[in-house]
Amino acid sequence: MKARFFSFPTVLMLLFVCFAAIDVSSASAASASSLSGEIPIGAVWSMTGAAAVYGSSQKNASELAVDEINKSGMLGAGKIKLITEDDRSTKEGAITAFDKLIKEYKVVAILGPTLSNSAKAADPIAQAAKVPVLAVSNTAGGIVEMGDFIFRDSLSEMLVQPNTIRETKNKLGYKKVAILYGNDDVFTKGGYDAFKKALNDQGIQILATETFNKNDSDFSAQLTKIKGLKPDAIIVSALAEEAAGIMSQGRQLGIPDSVPFIGGNGFNSPKLAQLAGPAAEGAITGAAWLISNDTPGNKAFVEAYHKKFGANPDQFAAQAYTGVYILANAIKTAGSSNPTAIRDAMAKIKDMDTVLGKFSFDAHREPVHSPVVQIIKNGKFVLYK
Amino acid sequence: MPEFVSNNISTINFILINIALGLSIYITLATGLLSLSNAGFMAIGAYTVAIISTQSNIPFSVGLVMAIALGVALALPIGMLVLGLRDIYLAIATLGFGEIVRIIALNGDKVVHLFSQNKELIIFNGAEGITLTYKTPTVILGLPDTTWPILIYVMVIIYILATLHNSRFGRILASIRQDETAASTLGVNVVHYKLLAFVLGSAIAAGAGALSAPIVRVIDPHNYVFSRGVDILAYAVLGGMTHWVGPILGATVLTSLPEALRFLKDQRDIVNGLIIMLSIIYLPAGLADPRIWGLFKRLVSFPKREQVS
Repeated sequence: MKARFFSFPTVLMLLFVCFAAIDVSSASAASASSLSGEIPIGAVWSMTGAAAVYGSSQKNASELAVDEINKSGMLGAGKIKLITEDDRSTKEGAITAFDKLIKEYKVVAILGPTLSNSAKAADPIAQAAKVPVLAVSNTAGGIVEMGDFIFRDSLSEMLVQPNTIRETKNKLGYKKVAILYGNDDVFTKGGYDAFKKALNDQGIQILATETFNKNDSDFSAQLTKIKGLKPDAIIVSALAEEAAGIMSQGRQLGIPDSVPFIGGNGFNSPKLAQLAGPAAEGAITGAAWLISNDTPGNKAFVEAYHKKFGANPDQFAAQAYTGVYILANAIKTAGSSNPTAIRDAMAKIKDMDTVLGKFSFDAHREPVHSPVVQIIKNGKFVLYK
Repeated sequence: MPEFVSNNISTINFILINIALGLSIYITLATGLLSLSNAGFMAIGAYTVAIISTQSNIPFSVGLVMAIALGVALALPIGMLVLGLRDIYLAIATLGFGEIVRIIALNGDKVVHLFSQNKELIIFNGAEGITLTYKTPTVILGLPDTTWPILIYVMVIIYILATLHNSRFGRILASIRQDETAASTLGVNVVHYKLLAFVLGSAIAAGAGALSAPIVRVIDPHNYVFSRGVDILAYAVLGGMTHWVGPILGATVLTSLPEALRFLKDQRDIVNGLIIMLSIIYLPAGLADPRIWGLFKRLVSFPKREQVS
């Protein structure tokens, strides 16, 4: 008889009681949202799944920015109500989250989603409903091209990489390079395309192009081949884990320290220096943001983020933080929470002070601000001079 | 369109697609075959439709038929090759097939360049995949025109399976599942029926993949990774493998639960996992367990209990 107590119907009943309790609390919160002055903004991050590393910084930073804006009274009597949804790093998740935010929560704007391909799947829903979308981490091509309601504050690879190549070429004077990239990931493949174009445009010879897959751990075959060709520099488009493996193994195989590793956006993670240790010294990467930037409010942002979450923000956090401020600025300028008015105000943003620097949107709703080039010194990213 | 339907139309679309996928693996499981190639056949279907609609003017309905035909054409030789294997060995072989499909999709353009004069031709577009243009769906009889084909497709599969369930064919499949040796001594051509079940399951998966293309719109190799195959298997395992109602319930619950639990925010995955774990512990035979139906009847026959809930 004792076992009967934990029988399936009992457990089911208990679960229902739990749900009913949670449901009541959420219902009261929902009724509060109908009060005037609350401006619902949606955010779709990959909080679980493959891109969870990026999604969690974005979630933290966007919440920090909303708190600051609501406390400062920047929007007068208005308060931003941030509704964060998880897309599980899938296209299906992003589509259902967009549907939910637009139709049920009637959000006036959406931040995200984290991944470019999820954006390609979900953004047209917002475009059709005339709700502005501000992407804060999509760097692939074909994002803003989806429609006049789609913006991004993340510099595309096509903008960052030519700058990295130009600056490093001027200082190091390299003439021939080898490329190593992950060909099964949109992010690293996009980085490769941008590097290839920049190298061709600037007349640098590509000795070899080698590929690998995500989660590979042995790069010795590719690196041995590259070593034999004696390049002046090695261009790597990889996520932090693979990049760390490439650098450690490259140095172990005897590629001299005078041949630097130059990387794309995937290098921009504090994890890189942690994983690769001394092998990461001297690695160069282009980025949209640097922790030691002296841009307006950057120091305060880094301190506030560190205080609240106990870790340093990364580029994804800085771009999400900026995204919330861009939206708040557009809402303030528009003086209304009408999605089309917000879209129009956002399109006119020029020289706005952000942690990324002076920020503007161009005619195609692409971000305009100067990228930086950084180098790892003593395990930390510093400005490349 | 009623508000509930219009607010949740994308969840409904994904539930229907996942039901079709769940049913595709159910057929092989009902024959006692642990085949994990469904994600691969889904990819074949999706890529067929995506390539046809980006490279030609062939209408979607023809593309769907071509996707299913291609699924059958590939399932036949592959089935002949791998169905000599049993249990976990079959699972590994079919899993390998799924990975091969994904890698081919990833490097498809290199294959194309081997045969084509035009070295700039991009069809598969590697990791970025094929993006189909977005069309605002028109509403016909209360449902968007993108939902209707999937709904009809699922209905047709259910009709076929319901007919098969109590037919000679259905009983032969069940007999192979219960005891392959006994079935063959009774004169059942085991190899023949296994192949038939495998081809049928693969065709359904290819069709489901084709129908998912206009909904997901971005067809890239990442959609069809190993975890997709596991998800499909989970629909049948959670729902139950002895009756075709099982995968329908399993796919519905597993697809709608994370959406229904969105209000839990950060705790969503914990509760989601807890519910699935409890269902597996208390309902090892799946949600379509006959015991549940008995319980349901008991609850209905006691009006007092109804007031409690």
